[in-house]
Amino acid sequence: MTTLLICLPLAAALIVWVLPLNPVSAGSLSLLAALAEVGVWIQLVVRYDFSKGGLQFSEQHTWIKDLGVSYHVGVYGFSVWLIGLTVVVLAAAIAYAFWAGRERTRAYMGLMLFLTGAIVGVFTAQDLLLFYAFFEAMLIPLYILVGVWGGPGRLGATLKFVLYTMAGSLLMLAAIIAYGLSQGTFDLVAINPVSSDWLFLGFVAAFAIKAPLFPLHGWLPDAYRESSPEVAAVLSGVVSKAAAYGFLRIAITKFPGPAHDFRVPILALATVSLIYGSLLAFRAPDMRGVVAYSSLAQMGLITMGVFAVNDLGLDGSVLQMVNHGLVSATLFLIVGMIERRTLTGELGRLGGMARGRPALATVLLTAGVIALAVPLSSAFAGEFLILAGIFQRGWGWAVAGAVAIVLAAMYVLRLISAVLHRDVGPAVSESALDLRPAELGVTVPLLVCLLALSVWPAAITQHSFRGDHGAFDVAEQFK
Amino acid sequence: MVWGAWICLLSPLVAACAITVGGTHLSRRAAGWLATSSCVVAFAGAVASFVGLLTHTASDRQFISTAWTWISGGRYQSGLSVIVDPLSVFMMLIVAGVGGLIVWYSIGYMDGDDEERRYFAYMALFVFSMLLLVQSGNLILLLAGWGMVGLSSYLLIGYWHQRPTAVAAAKKAFVMNAIGDATMALALFLLIQQGNSLEFGVLGGDFSSTVANLVALGLLGGAVAKSAQIPLHTWLPDAMEGPTPVSALIHAATMVTAGVYLIVRTHAIFEQAPKVADVAAGLGAATLLVAGLIALVQVDIKRVIAYSTMSQIGYMFVGAGIGSYPNAMFHLMTHAFFKALLFMTAGIVIHALTDEQDIRKMGGLRQLAPKTYWAFLVGSLALVGIFPFAGFFSKDSILAAAMAKGGAFGYILWAAGLAGTFLTGLYTFRLLFVVFWGEPSAFVREHFHPLGRDVVAFSLAIPVGILGVLSVVGGWIQFSPWWHPVETWLQTVAEPIVSPASWQEWTSIALSLLLGLTGIGVAWAIYGAHRVAVPRIAWAQRTLEHKFYFDEAYDALFYAPAVFLANFLRRGVEQPLIADSGRDLGDDTRDLGGIVARAQTGLVRTYALAIATGVAVLAIVFVIVK
Amino acid sequence: MIALLGPEIAWYLGVAAFLFATGAFGVLLRRNPLIVLLSLEIMLNGANLALIGFSRNLGDGGGQIFALAVMAVAASEVVVGLGLVVALNRKRITLDVDRLNTLRG
Repeated sequence: MTTLLICLPLAAALIVWVLPLNPVSAGSLSLLAALAEVGVWIQLVVRYDFSKGGLQFSEQHTWIKDLGVSYHVGVYGFSVWLIGLTVVVLAAAIAYAFWAGRERTRAYMGLMLFLTGAIVGVFTAQDLLLFYAFFEAMLIPLYILVGVWGGPGRLGATLKFVLYTMAGSLLMLAAIIAYGLSQGTFDLVAINPVSSDWLFLGFVAAFAIKAPLFPLHGWLPDAYRESSPEVAAVLSGVVSKAAAYGFLRIAITKFPGPAHDFRVPILALATVSLIYGSLLAFRAPDMRGVVAYSSLAQMGLITMGVFAVNDLGLDGSVLQMVNHGLVSATLFLIVGMIERRTLTGELGRLGGMARGRPALATVLLTAGVIALAVPLSSAFAGEFLILAGIFQRGWGWAVAGAVAIVLAAMYVLRLISAVLHRDVGPAVSESALDLRPAELGVTVPLLVCLLALSVWPAAITQHSFRGDHGAFDVAEQFK
Repeated sequence: MVWGAWICLLSPLVAACAITVGGTHLSRRAAGWLATSSCVVAFAGAVASFVGLLTHTASDRQFISTAWTWISGGRYQSGLSVIVDPLSVFMMLIVAGVGGLIVWYSIGYMDGDDEERRYFAYMALFVFSMLLLVQSGNLILLLAGWGMVGLSSYLLIGYWHQRPTAVAAAKKAFVMNAIGDATMALALFLLIQQGNSLEFGVLGGDFSSTVANLVALGLLGGAVAKSAQIPLHTWLPDAMEGPTPVSALIHAATMVTAGVYLIVRTHAIFEQAPKVADVAAGLGAATLLVAGLIALVQVDIKRVIAYSTMSQIGYMFVGAGIGSYPNAMFHLMTHAFFKALLFMTAGIVIHALTDEQDIRKMGGLRQLAPKTYWAFLVGSLALVGIFPFAGFFSKDSILAAAMAKGGAFGYILWAAGLAGTFLTGLYTFRLLFVVFWGEPSAFVREHFHPLGRDVVAFSLAIPVGILGVLSVVGGWIQFSPWWHPVETWLQTVAEPIVSPASWQEWTSIALSLLLGLTGIGVAWAIYGAHRVAVPRIAWAQRTLEHKFYFDEAYDALFYAPAVFLANFLRRGVEQPLIADSGRDLGDDTRDLGGIVARAQTGLVRTYALAIATGVAVLAIVFVIVK
Repeated sequence: MIALLGPEIAWYLGVAAFLFATGAFGVLLRRNPLIVLLSLEIMLNGANLALIGFSRNLGDGGGQIFALAVMAVAASEVVVGLGLVVALNRKRITLDVDRLNTLRG
């Protein structure tokens, strides 16, 4: 089952690359594969035994025997939801790319499918080297997708992205090798927790760059601005969650001592990311800037939840990973749709788009208010749990988080009113159409997922970790 | 009975969704009727719950129905649950009833607007949110409803989104309310830490005084923001940018009174934190005076009523703060009647004068629109609290309760309330005389167009008529010296902690009636009969016209620093340190690459030599290490 | 184990190293591809000699088998190499390896 989830998109990618299909059939084949992947995931949800929890659908084959490396994959309760986020967002991204029409369709679609498989691999790998392999395999298609199909500044953006992530990856690789060799195995389930500060920092550096956290977010604005909207959606929606997953699955699980010792500096970085990202989103001159910096803020919040290391914080951060993934992907796709109509993302040149375009207004408003975590939305549930969790580690963190809630309201409302309200902007022509049915077909399912989660956030929070513990024991969770 | 509550809660939501999804398949009129009928269904559900409760004995009137677990985190969990008890049913009846009348009125008022469907979808969403707020069975859903009414009021205030002022006002309202949401959320975090639960029952638990004070302060922050009390009141007057029925619904009858409901609902924690309860009462008293003073100089018909709303909620806060919960709730109810009536008659005036709101251009409307005048007069008398109108019965008992609380603080509150009565009489009748008395002004003669006898006129007139009747008789259900069914009804949920003696009741009644009449008399002397000139005190007028400089102070204290900090971070940190450092890193790498690239001669022999040397070095190292 | 006759292993290795070095210098210094190929063969033979020498010294046939394999590879390599030289000649490109520097990119 797990292997099927990983291999289905990879195989589809190969087929799309190899067969000489025309763009339309390549696109439809890719979309079909992406939807089939969603179907497989639904099967996974149905068959996963949430009452039991723990690692399920585990598959293990020896790979490098002497080093204790194996192909070991499996899913935990919370990874089910992250995989779901991945397949849903990627399917939407592929559908949008198909509809928008990208040059060299086969290569593009193949890369997107390959990316799907690699990300699912990251969320399922239960072996450190395998995790690393998938982590890198996830980045390679992104380099190409940003560097070849991006906007005018794509080369600079890619270069920055490569440099930052490579630096992080190398640190992680060094940490993995040292950790694995010292313990005699690379198996994530079997390997013993250690208390080495250096190894911990190696992992944390890699994830902090990928998330990103302040001040390691230098690659973020350029990469999100220059890539095509669906790639930006995947980058901020899904790929950043791989980092949060790493914090959760490796940093706090395998290094409980250092995670405790370094809690304050990491929480401080996360808080700074939260406030700093919110403030910059508030002053960003363009739509993508707002969404990009809000992504920085949200990753700070999620990191806070993980490093609270209690049941409230962890449940909340898993929920918030899914929420933010869906909502920022939706926002980036909508931004792409608006940019197609106006040829610009500058807030100063937009405005008044609500008049005569009810579908666009409704979709953007809905996504926006979920992004600002209006109470009753699933994002509110996630933020509430995270802050309730971090409150127990110190009320100051939660106060900073509460300030960020107000800031989030300010920047999202600024975005909404700059695009939809007031006078019609110079870049908005009368002929700019409302959303087409195909565009609604991409965004509405994402919003429906979010609304469904808003009705029942406990779907995730009750089904992520093993039930009732009282004092949350992280090590217990990953037996 | 519980099913009645669920129907009450969900029917407006269904209507909102249906209108949104239906889009242009639904005619505009149909959207209006759909929203109205959903409110009627909600009201029926509320009545069903009310009747259901009546069949139980008083001590047995609390039912919580949970649909499913809404949110959980480890041991903490909260259900998606509604509570049916005397307090929630009381509020459901007001919200669904008055709300339904106002939505009905909107069919007439919004007739011909470009986007009526959107309007009615928002209205239905608002009624749903408000019902969620008052019906929620635990604190987190209460907070959810709290935020949702903030959202729908944002949507409705900014309904005319091509007006920059409306958009700005909507944003201001939302952000101010978000501040309140944030403080409430902090209070809830503390409760989770203490008791791992957010059921209402947890509030009665045994807390240390610090915890109780902090929780109560957090909740009070939410209440103050939502109910537009000092210091978080500045959004309410600006919110008058929305359509008039919106002001009637949100800024008079329902949403702004949510703060009072919150205090009454969570009174257990306020009773453990008496200092915070005093703060609530003090803020209420300050607001009722400040708002009354500002209302004296406003020239926009809706803003005068908005400030009077703030002032009246100040009374409710005084009542709730001193622990006279049934009186606060009773005033909430009568206020919903007469304030909605005032807003809606003001709406008819505005409608008849082609959207003009400046009272300086009005005058003499009594001759042109006598029925509107009578309705407005009823509303005004009820607002000032003249016997036998609704406000008389509810306001005076709050003053008596303040007296009964006793001590210096109690008497200060009492005095402030009495002074407020005088101000209420003055500003309310100033408005009435300026708008309706005298000769019709040139503007009025030019622009006035009477209502026809069509659906539009009936939708405007009938709800106003019903509310007019309610503004007269609505107060009769309780007259605190003699009979108090409201108090009995709410007894099990919120038992008052002060009980005024008979002489205190009568003293308050006499004094407030006297002061109210004095206010009306002064207004008559100045604006009705023009016997006395308007006193001019330059500095006072300037202060009042600038609304005590609250907006300016907030700009300087919060908004400007936030913008400054954000700009500084963008120009001073993000650009030079993060973005440029990345670029420099890239450039340096490229330069370094250029240097290393010189080793690449392209000659096979160089590569062969490099390989050979490498192997040799490795071999030597290997031998040495061995 | 068969008693070893003839010179010590060091002699074999000395000759093999000499052959290898001769070949290596040839590859690195000469510019005519034919001579380069020839030098390459000399290097391979040096390596072969070392293999056979060790094989004899240790009494293990494996080394000799390796030497045979190397010869087979060398033969095929010469075929490819000579083919390239002929192709270069056909295209009237000077037979000078220093001109063939497109690897630099």
